[in-house]
Amino acid sequence: MSQASQAVRNRGRASAPSGARSGRPPEQQEDQSASLRRRAQNRRARRETLFGYAMVASALVVVVVFTVAPILASFVLALFKWDAISSPEFVGLDNFDALLSDESVTHSLLVTSGLAVIIVFLQVALGLGLALLVAQRASKIVQHLFRAAFFLPMLASAASISIVMAYVFNDQFGVINYYLDLLHLPEVSWLSSTGGATATIVLVAVWQQLGFTFILFVAALGSVPGDVLEAAQIDGASPARMFWRIKLPLISPTVLFASTVGLINTMQLFDQPYVMTKGGPGESTYTTVLLVYQTAFQNLQFGYASAISVVLFAVLLIITAVQFTVSRKWVFYS
Amino acid sequence: MSSGILKEQFSRRGVLRAGVASAAVAGVGGLASACSSGSSSSSDSKVLNVLVFTDQASANKLSTAAAPFEAAHPGMKVKFTGITGTDWNDFFSKLLTQIAAGNAPDIVSVATEGLQLFAAKGLAEPLDDYVKRDASELKSYFADVHPALIEAMMYQGHLYELPTDFNAGNMFYSTSLLESAGVGRPADDWTKDDFYDIATKIARKGGSAVPYNWVVRLWGSWTSWMYANGGNLLTEGKWDGGDWLWNTFYPNDPAASGRKGGWRWGDPTANSAPVVESLDYMIQLQKEGLSAKPDVGGGATLQGLFASNKIGMSVGGGFWAGGLHNAGMKTGSFDVQYFPKWRTQRHLFGAGGYGILKSSKNKDLAWEFVKSLVSAKNLDVLMPGNTTTFPRKSMMTAERYSTTGPKNWHVFYDTLTKFPETAPIPAPPYYQAMAIALNKRTTEAMSSGKAKAALDGLQSDLETAMKTG
Amino acid sequence: MTAILDTQPATTARAPRRRRRVRIGRLLSLTVLTVAAAAVVAPLVWALATSLRTPATSFDNPPQWIPTDPVWSNYQAVFDKVPLTGFFLNSVVVTGLIVVGQLITSTMSGYAFAMVRFRGNKALFAIILATMMVPIQTTIIPVFLIIKYLGLTDSRMALVLPAVGGAFGTFLMRQYFLQMPRELGEAARVDGASHFQVFARIYAPMARAPMATLAVLTFSAYWNEFFRPLIFLQSTDNFTLPLGLVTLQGNLGTGSISIVLAGVIIALIPSVLIFLAAQRYFVEGIVAGSFR
Repeated sequence: MSQASQAVRNRGRASAPSGARSGRPPEQQEDQSASLRRRAQNRRARRETLFGYAMVASALVVVVVFTVAPILASFVLALFKWDAISSPEFVGLDNFDALLSDESVTHSLLVTSGLAVIIVFLQVALGLGLALLVAQRASKIVQHLFRAAFFLPMLASAASISIVMAYVFNDQFGVINYYLDLLHLPEVSWLSSTGGATATIVLVAVWQQLGFTFILFVAALGSVPGDVLEAAQIDGASPARMFWRIKLPLISPTVLFASTVGLINTMQLFDQPYVMTKGGPGESTYTTVLLVYQTAFQNLQFGYASAISVVLFAVLLIITAVQFTVSRKWVFYS
Repeated sequence: MSSGILKEQFSRRGVLRAGVASAAVAGVGGLASACSSGSSSSSDSKVLNVLVFTDQASANKLSTAAAPFEAAHPGMKVKFTGITGTDWNDFFSKLLTQIAAGNAPDIVSVATEGLQLFAAKGLAEPLDDYVKRDASELKSYFADVHPALIEAMMYQGHLYELPTDFNAGNMFYSTSLLESAGVGRPADDWTKDDFYDIATKIARKGGSAVPYNWVVRLWGSWTSWMYANGGNLLTEGKWDGGDWLWNTFYPNDPAASGRKGGWRWGDPTANSAPVVESLDYMIQLQKEGLSAKPDVGGGATLQGLFASNKIGMSVGGGFWAGGLHNAGMKTGSFDVQYFPKWRTQRHLFGAGGYGILKSSKNKDLAWEFVKSLVSAKNLDVLMPGNTTTFPRKSMMTAERYSTTGPKNWHVFYDTLTKFPETAPIPAPPYYQAMAIALNKRTTEAMSSGKAKAALDGLQSDLETAMKTG
Repeated sequence: MTAILDTQPATTARAPRRRRRVRIGRLLSLTVLTVAAAAVVAPLVWALATSLRTPATSFDNPPQWIPTDPVWSNYQAVFDKVPLTGFFLNSVVVTGLIVVGQLITSTMSGYAFAMVRFRGNKALFAIILATMMVPIQTTIIPVFLIIKYLGLTDSRMALVLPAVGGAFGTFLMRQYFLQMPRELGEAARVDGASHFQVFARIYAPMARAPMATLAVLTFSAYWNEFFRPLIFLQSTDNFTLPLGLVTLQGNLGTGSISIVLAGVIIALIPSVLIFLAAQRYFVEGIVAGSFR
């Protein structure tokens, strides 16, 4: 490739003098050399294009084969009744029809979005609160210590954290109820009541992802210009006022980012309910992804499960769209 | 390759086209090729692939059981693969996924939970012809195995597996906790009231231990109380057929009278009075603090709790003997008794065995291997350390249980003879959907305290599952 | 900010009072932070402490936060009872290949989208970027089928192949290359370097920092992955750590939580080590993602 490009350049360089030496009129010479240059340029552009395609090919193939194609394939599969063992049967929109009257599906979507909203709100609020407190600390070492502490749970897998938490939150023998008892507080039916199980899933998810929002907000607060704060300080603005009027608007893009990513992540909640509650008690923590998993890989209803996936996909799309539309109104982009 | 072609290939429209094309491959192409997936067995003609519900380390140890078979059939290799899971439905999910992925094994361990599922889906090969052919060879095996276990392996008149183990739902108790509450070993014919009395005494003593605990699942859950109360989730019936087996192997055995071609599970009866009553009893025990809140799944946590002396009594089967021993319990610190009597003292049980898949290319050899497994010697290798109950009565000896306990190990097998109405768990072909619904509705009842409402839900879940298969 | 407050000259009579208030405020904030940090760390400390108790006492309360008589045998047992070494190696192989794959494909594509002029550049990037918001959970069924047709079911490659390229990595690297001066490459081109040489010799080496960030983030995402292994893998031999641990916990007959917790702790060690060694890349990666 390198030799070829060298050749292109040499030829381009050689062509100009050769035209000048010939006895043709100047305009014509001009014309010819321009076209030669253009051709060389074209060739160079084509080569660059080729190079560009070669460079993006690997990532593109992976994305197309394992994400784009599956999205489209979901729609196709959703039109079939298929156990992946015997022959598929085309059923048209029957799966979507069945899905509308399937309480498990609607309920799981409600459960999932409910969990997502609570989890994301707490993650953002707590992460921001702790970041504000840490930002007040002058000492870098102290900051790093807290950062490491809040980040620690993120290093473990949600699955193994859920194993640990299932023991910690065990109604009868768990550490939490032991200490509640010690403090003469009422014990909570963490995993065996509908409210308790929801609370446990929320607490575990918030607890594990807190480090993420925390780090985002520490960075965002750090980028708030100091002179603005100083000026407000001199004007006698109270800390609360400074937060609501200056800091929050300035870090609003980060709030948006944290909540978008958080929502998309929690709408896929699976590991925690799979390990800790299996969706129970009843269907109180039965998330949509858990439903898809069980429908497809436990009941072998691949078509029906695809239909549920398609609905989940649509819901995610809507959430993202709504969030970005709404955010135009309040996010302050500097 | 000229850049023009490349450009053409990677143009935007081209990419979109490629995307749609790959989608078609994934979707339509996949659906189409699915028709032929039944025959796509991964098994090499020289290898018998055996899938076992255990971890790989234990699966590797099973190769000892294959040694005589491999010696008798030069060139054949038996490969054991372990698949773990929290409960049978979890295991079946993985097994079915593997079959769906085109990696069907030749032989697979399937317990009562999934026997009808695999038979009804046409995945399992009936053993009738093989058994008839090798009847003389199998006489001693059948003579040693209780007919109830055999019948549990039948579906629509065909035999699908030779039982290699079983577990009846008995009652385990912590000897020290009972002692400290001032009660001794309950009598063989103890009742639900006796049980309640003991539980109350353990509770009154205080301390961190809970009198009773159980696990949410089909086997040995609140379902044991349901059986004792004369109820069932599904209408009981028997398939016709099976005479060929009963007449050949159990001609004059009274225990075989009335046995037919396997259990035929009919319309759901999940919200019938005795069923509701038994689940209500669980709620009552929990409300009175006599029972811990049950876990969902395989019961590993329950065993752990029991082994650390946190549980007074719990439903358990023969597999608890080895399980508790492995979890660190001393031989004398636990014992077992029959399940208490309510309206009846009917127990439930589940049996395990090895089935041959229809897709196997080596069915004859697979049969030879399956047959070889049920010798006493091989069963010993298959199930080491009393982690289950042997189907062969002759293998149940005091010596076997001297290392692990319990003292009254005879209860495990005698359940079958002492209570002839004892029956397998109700596991229809739609067991997978049933397991999901049962777990869901049981936990719902335990958290809401409303058994009837939850079981009405279960009833309708099961009716749907029965229809959609 | 507090530093500014502290060094302000006491111009008014209210200053000492305000300073006291500030001091109390600082003390209060330190207390809140410490309590929060303790609450966040506590479950893992409990897991560590309990993994060092005998199985028979593992459920006893109060927990022994500081084990007086640590029982290391659980760590032996977890290797004896489950093929933990195998799980560990599988996790290393799978995560390692994904990280390397991601680095190669993302650096190449990110560079091309940022620095190379070619027809369809914007459109192709848009296609890739659009998939950033598509979670694997919604496409798992078709992906499972594609894996089946590639003959990769129940293999570690089933986890690796679909993960060796992706939207996030491409995006991250593109952002980085966009900030780089084009002149360097143009100068090298004039000196006769090929397109690829410009990329490989000049720009890629300068991108070490975002590559480290991408590597660290990819590692932590895939090292802890549970959903895909659960569906793609059936044989215990192929299990990665998170899947292996969950089955260890649930497997019939494994009655000791101390042993399970020992496994959890072992799985956590590599992540913690990498975090300690590359803390700033974690932070940079998380922050970089937010400036889309």
